[in-house]
Amino acid sequence: MLEKILTDKFRKLLKTVLLDIKNQQDLRDEEEFAKDEARIKEKLLDTVESYSANIVLDEDFLIAAVDGSGTENFGMLDDIRIHLLSTATVILDTNTQKGPPFSIMSGAALGAELGEQPSLDMHWHSGVRHDAKNKMADSLTYIYPIKDPTEYVTQFFRDDLGPQIKSFSDLDSTDFARHKSKLEHMNSLISRAGYLTNPVVHDELRTVSEYAAIRNVLTSKFKPKFILIDGAMSVFVHHVLKYPSMPSGFMLREICALAREKEVILCAVSKNHTIPFAHRIAKMAEEIFGAEAKWFCLLPSKNHPNGGLHIYSDRTYLPPKLAVPYLFSFSRDNRPSRIDFDRIWWLKNIFVRGDPAATRANEKKLFRDLEFMSRDARWYGYPVALALAHVACKLSYEDLGLAREVYRDVLRATNHDPRRAAPLREDYNL
Amino acid sequence: MMVFNKDNLGELFGKVGVGNQTNLEIMGSNRDISVGEIFMITSERDGHERVFFFRVLGLQNYLRQVDDMSRVAGTLMVEGDAYLSGIERNMLLDVQGRMLGYAEYTGGKWVFRSPRRLPDHLASVYRPVAGTSDADVRMMLESQTSGEMYVGDLQVGETTLDVPVMIPSKFLPMHVGIFGSTGSGKSNLMMVLIKSLIDTNIAASTNPDGDILRISAFCIDPHDEFAKGVDKYGIHHIVEAMGPTLRSEVLGNFYYLTTHLRATPRDVKKYAKEIRIKWDEIQPRDLYSITEFTPQMNAFIDSMYAVEHENWIAKILELDEEPEGMSTPKGTMRAVQRRLRFLKRSPIFIEDGTSILDDIYEAMETGRILVVNTSLMSDTEQFLLTTVVTRTLSDMRRAVKSSGNLGDFEKQGYMRLPTPFFGRVKKMARSFYGRGGISDSAEVKDPRSLPVIQITVEEAPSILNPELMKGRSVFKDISRQGRKFNIGLVVVSQQVSVLDNVILSQMNTEINLRMGNEREIRACIDNASVNISGFENEFRVMSRGEALLTASYRELPLPVKIPLFDDIFERDRGKYRSKRSSKKSEKHIL
Repeated sequence: MLEKILTDKFRKLLKTVLLDIKNQQDLRDEEEFAKDEARIKEKLLDTVESYSANIVLDEDFLIAAVDGSGTENFGMLDDIRIHLLSTATVILDTNTQKGPPFSIMSGAALGAELGEQPSLDMHWHSGVRHDAKNKMADSLTYIYPIKDPTEYVTQFFRDDLGPQIKSFSDLDSTDFARHKSKLEHMNSLISRAGYLTNPVVHDELRTVSEYAAIRNVLTSKFKPKFILIDGAMSVFVHHVLKYPSMPSGFMLREICALAREKEVILCAVSKNHTIPFAHRIAKMAEEIFGAEAKWFCLLPSKNHPNGGLHIYSDRTYLPPKLAVPYLFSFSRDNRPSRIDFDRIWWLKNIFVRGDPAATRANEKKLFRDLEFMSRDARWYGYPVALALAHVACKLSYEDLGLAREVYRDVLRATNHDPRRAAPLREDYNL
Repeated sequence: MMVFNKDNLGELFGKVGVGNQTNLEIMGSNRDISVGEIFMITSERDGHERVFFFRVLGLQNYLRQVDDMSRVAGTLMVEGDAYLSGIERNMLLDVQGRMLGYAEYTGGKWVFRSPRRLPDHLASVYRPVAGTSDADVRMMLESQTSGEMYVGDLQVGETTLDVPVMIPSKFLPMHVGIFGSTGSGKSNLMMVLIKSLIDTNIAASTNPDGDILRISAFCIDPHDEFAKGVDKYGIHHIVEAMGPTLRSEVLGNFYYLTTHLRATPRDVKKYAKEIRIKWDEIQPRDLYSITEFTPQMNAFIDSMYAVEHENWIAKILELDEEPEGMSTPKGTMRAVQRRLRFLKRSPIFIEDGTSILDDIYEAMETGRILVVNTSLMSDTEQFLLTTVVTRTLSDMRRAVKSSGNLGDFEKQGYMRLPTPFFGRVKKMARSFYGRGGISDSAEVKDPRSLPVIQITVEEAPSILNPELMKGRSVFKDISRQGRKFNIGLVVVSQQVSVLDNVILSQMNTEINLRMGNEREIRACIDNASVNISGFENEFRVMSRGEALLTASYRELPLPVKIPLFDDIFERDRGKYRSKRSSKKSEKHIL
């Protein structure tokens, strides 16, 4: 393969693709961006007014972060596949009064309330028809603290349709009445059963594990001001059913509601995102505020008084349903990141109808805190709590290697043939 | 089965990272560690509980979760508002060092072994704490530190543990090397050693039924500082601190030898004698051991000796012309005379008068210590004195060794030793060597049951160099066969590299003090009886009074802090008054 890759022909192929992208995509997008440029510059983009380095906050606060990791391919037993999942929660204290800033809550204090950190879990399913779905439903029920779906599915409809949906039975008066029976069981909440590939199963398990961990923090004695989660607040809505195609979509709304109730700011941060023209927005920010400025930019939805942006009008999941995304940059060395908030919370706490200046002031306050928690020298510009959670849950290549060795040991100890665990093609060194 | 309490090992410092049975890397907490510290690693593998000993040779800061420390430092620098959240937990010390070996409890006692195993994965590492770890370390290292002759205390980094480091007296006849540059603490060490010899002899004399062998020592004191001390106290203060009975038992009626009695301080004079060696007690070999002669001169001296026996020196010096019948080239006689003329000028080598050799012999055979002030002697005189004493003592013991009974011994003695000397001491010798009586038929003792005799060779390179050792040096025999006769050399030198290989290879204990330069450090490491390669940095940071004790009969190179003589004398002075010895556990003190 290498001799093919290291050829001019391969380079030419890449150049053609780039040209193709430019011709088909950029040209049209460029026109769209031009339409948004002035609005972004004047209305949506702003600087972060940061705290000084030695600030002593009137009230120090806690920041929690949850991250998960794992592999769908941890081990096999013939056609049975074992997933490995790890989830980690960390809590930091801004600690400006006592110093040093951003102290980490000890594992013992955390463990006593939230269980051992990080936590490891496993899930398995076979290649038998429906097994993946049934097992997944079992695992999700096991992982998520609320076992009866009717207790959490309602929240999605309440957030989507309005406060008149108070209980599950209120769905009777809506178009969703005919799907009610499907909404009562975990199994039937998994409506994307046709696409249940291993990565899809794994992602859902991981997401729900993270949501369960967030829920644990929310119901714990800790009262963090922020809970951060890695990723976006995207909910994939079934295009026919018009509600989330996976249970995690419903759960997200439930934890958002709980967070609102507990006055916790829940946000999802993603380093990798697909916001078009992020680099152009960053360049624009640099031009206006200078290269060293820390900035944020609202990405409004079409429900915004001034409507959505043209650059993502064709992109289905931007902004995600019931979420408000921003683009931000707290460090000149990194590409801008994205942060999502719960739209219902945002409307109540940030957005002030008819008063853009008040809205902006709220946003600036919010980002001032977020920027303050993103100054760790190891991950400058990225929220340190999230970085620490990521480090805590990360399963490295070496970790997995060892874990697999342990698995083979256990197989031998329990009189299983360890070869049953090996991927079939390993026999042929492929 | 746990035979020790982990809490007593010291503070938990870290975990073993990577390494092999020689070099290890430890991840430890961010503490103020210094090169030279010793850590203990507990390990349990296949039911074997072991404590490994590890010596720090290098240190490095390590920030957990940071792959690129420079980048983080750069960010802290550039972004003035950056912090490091919870970093105290992640600040670790990456400690590299040498595995020294491990202690294992088997058969009801602790044994120590060379590092031929590895501690368990991620084994816990303890840092010894003075006052906490002493007892356990003492117990585990007993085989490595026990003995009769106290040298100092086990050093761990910049502090010491209450773990006395001793040399077993049975290994003294296998020679001890003391190496250190000027100012490294050799004089203080010699005084500490003399004190522990005295303490051992007190223990032996107050426990006559014990199995403690008395040790004799002929200690050359080139700067006349042992008796009165360098600072406050000296050996003389020990002598004065003793009650008369103990003093006479342990030291006899003198301990100080000097060239000029009149120049001796009054209080010391009571226990002093003048050094006088008669010409007839000198043998040609003695001279061959200290200076080079041409083959013609050797031949001349040998033929004169064959004819004149012990009068050879007087006869040679009397000659006006070459004796007839000698086929030596012209001028040889004059050359030899020139070489011997120093004996005529010397106040200590005398043609007629009373010799001190008898007294020295008696002292050495009765387990006594002699401090020999050579500060007013020339180098040649000092070397010749050392040689005559060494040769006389070894020839006496050789005569014992090659005899079955005292009758044989007398014959052997007359054969080997100058007649006048032997004639004077033979009666005394019979009482020393005879087993159950002094009759001719009485069996002789095994020399190994006689007191260990230690002879210091100061400025050793002058006589223990390869040129002299090539010839008929007295020291060549002693270095090879001393152990048969229970006679050992204490070789004191500022340099190791210039010493003869015969003596170096026969040396079984080395006390390596601070060395002057890289060549000598290298030589010390090469010569050490245990592998101490990699300890170069240690030598470079050694301070006065710190030593690395290596011995062929031990696996562990022992870092030792030699206490100041004044301190241990002050601590122990009260004990010299009491006639009976103290408890056994304190045998290193008394």
